[in-house]
Amino acid sequence: MSQAPATIFDLGYQPYDGARTGRWARRAAIWRDGIRISLGLGRGTGAKIAPWLLLTLALVPMLVLVVISAVMSEAQAAAEDFELPSYADYYEFAMVPLALFAAVVAPLLLCPDRRDGVLALYGARPITPADYVGARWLAFFTVAACAAWLPEAVLFTWNALDARSPGSWLTDHWEIPPRFLVAGAMVAALTTTLSLFAASFTTRRAYASVGTLAVLFIGSAVGGIAENDFSGRVADAVSLVALPQALTEAVHWVFGDETRDRPFDGAVYAGWVAVLTAALALGLLRQTRSLVRG
Amino acid sequence: MALVHARGLTKSYGPVRALDGATFEIGDGITGLLGSNGAGKSTTLRIFMGLTDPDAGTAEVLGQDTRRSPEYRARVGYAPEHDCLPRTVSAAEFLAYMGEVSGLPRTAARLRASDVLRHVGLFEERYRPMGTYSTGMKQRVKLAQALVHDPLVAFLDEPTAGLDPLGRREMLELIRRVGREFGISIVISTHLMGDVERTCDAVVVLDAGRVLRAGAVSGLTDETEAVLVDVADGMEALAQALARRGLDARVDGSRLLLEQVSGTDYDMLRDAIVESGALLYRLAPERHTLADVFASPRTGDRDSSLDAP
Repeated sequence: MSQAPATIFDLGYQPYDGARTGRWARRAAIWRDGIRISLGLGRGTGAKIAPWLLLTLALVPMLVLVVISAVMSEAQAAAEDFELPSYADYYEFAMVPLALFAAVVAPLLLCPDRRDGVLALYGARPITPADYVGARWLAFFTVAACAAWLPEAVLFTWNALDARSPGSWLTDHWEIPPRFLVAGAMVAALTTTLSLFAASFTTRRAYASVGTLAVLFIGSAVGGIAENDFSGRVADAVSLVALPQALTEAVHWVFGDETRDRPFDGAVYAGWVAVLTAALALGLLRQTRSLVRG
Repeated sequence: MALVHARGLTKSYGPVRALDGATFEIGDGITGLLGSNGAGKSTTLRIFMGLTDPDAGTAEVLGQDTRRSPEYRARVGYAPEHDCLPRTVSAAEFLAYMGEVSGLPRTAARLRASDVLRHVGLFEERYRPMGTYSTGMKQRVKLAQALVHDPLVAFLDEPTAGLDPLGRREMLELIRRVGREFGISIVISTHLMGDVERTCDAVVVLDAGRVLRAGAVSGLTDETEAVLVDVADGMEALAQALARRGLDARVDGSRLLLEQVSGTDYDMLRDAIVESGALLYRLAPERHTLADVFASPRTGDRDSSLDAP
């Protein structure tokens, strides 16, 4: 039996006649891409190491503590000596890996686009610079906030399960989830915005990371010296540059903890964190707009 | 119908005036934005894409003011002159993503990314990181990303920059195909007159931010009343024979150029060739080249419109 000879059909160019999406779908595409970059998805192994290592550092300790608590609850006497951290205390611990995660990974969402000249292509799409940087910001914020919330959710779930009557425990403690959501959002928002703001000034991710860490650690040292070794209003004001401490105080305030031995009330720290985040976001937007539009 | 309107575009960067009241229109087909370095070509394209606002004047693309909503860019493509491709991402992934950001649904964006990469000849290499591509391949990806969302018009800034002669020819052929077969109007900026003559239907010539000429390429390279006589041998004898008949021949390299030739002059030219014994290689009406456009004195800026055939 003879076969018909193979034929190659050149279909030619096919114009696109289908539906086109709106502005929100375009923003969502940038957001999804940002999530993938943040987690190193679709990239090589090297791109996955930093985000997953730092996220693990933020998540795993809580899991370990909960497992230890579960094991110890079998032995009643030992369980009385073991106490899980409070929600606010765990944020205090997780602040370091979360800040490192933001400092090291967030610049990846802006620096390569700038270094490789891709910003001009974003500028030529039917979006504004605000759409671009807003979606990038939201992508990293989503990952950072989830990393902050997840251990708290684990702790909350365990506390509910460990209670004699989970139903009544949930009724008595319903206000905890909103509190840890707000506190986690606050931590994620400031670290995300600070790191992306630093990244908007350089094409080199390393410079942005160092800049972010310098602001956090040097600010912390300067604020600590001002608070401990000096007194007066100026010293108190200078102590606010210690951003990790300011965040910690704001988190405790969100959880309604008693006033701690600090120059300002918890609400002042929360307000300062909010104002600083907004100012950095404004600066990030202006910087991105000037980069895209030249 | 004009796709692009520029009215009195003026743009300065500090003391440097990049555009100085440029006014012109661009229609369907392939149009060249021709000018030397610093003539204002890239600035013009950036204004059309809304990447820069003019200091004065207005730019309209697809009937929309470029300073207003970015929505018109859903049907406009752009490939900048400089590198603009992420090194670690594959062309297929990047194009699909750019398609989505341009307003295509996810699945359609992926399909079109593959399709467009096939048309530009990169189908086999589409999953390789773009950092490993040659300059020619990168230029093709730049073209592909400008086409992935099926625009009505695409602006290509120096699309043959950095290409060797073969790569340049292939890129121009590709652009011609996009313009002719894909039905996508193209505006290319270039300082190479050969690119425009070879590829474009129409041209806007910019010089120091002003429009020097605008019109169909065929119009600017119209035949003149001069005749070009190319002889393989006996040029001097031919020139003398023509002079004896009262015809003023100008030697232009290895050719003779006769200005203002009319009906009976052709008979005399024939006789002179026979008398001189010159070996006639070519006899043709002389055409203007785009180089002449630059060489001729500027007649002053004027409103210019063109609709390519």
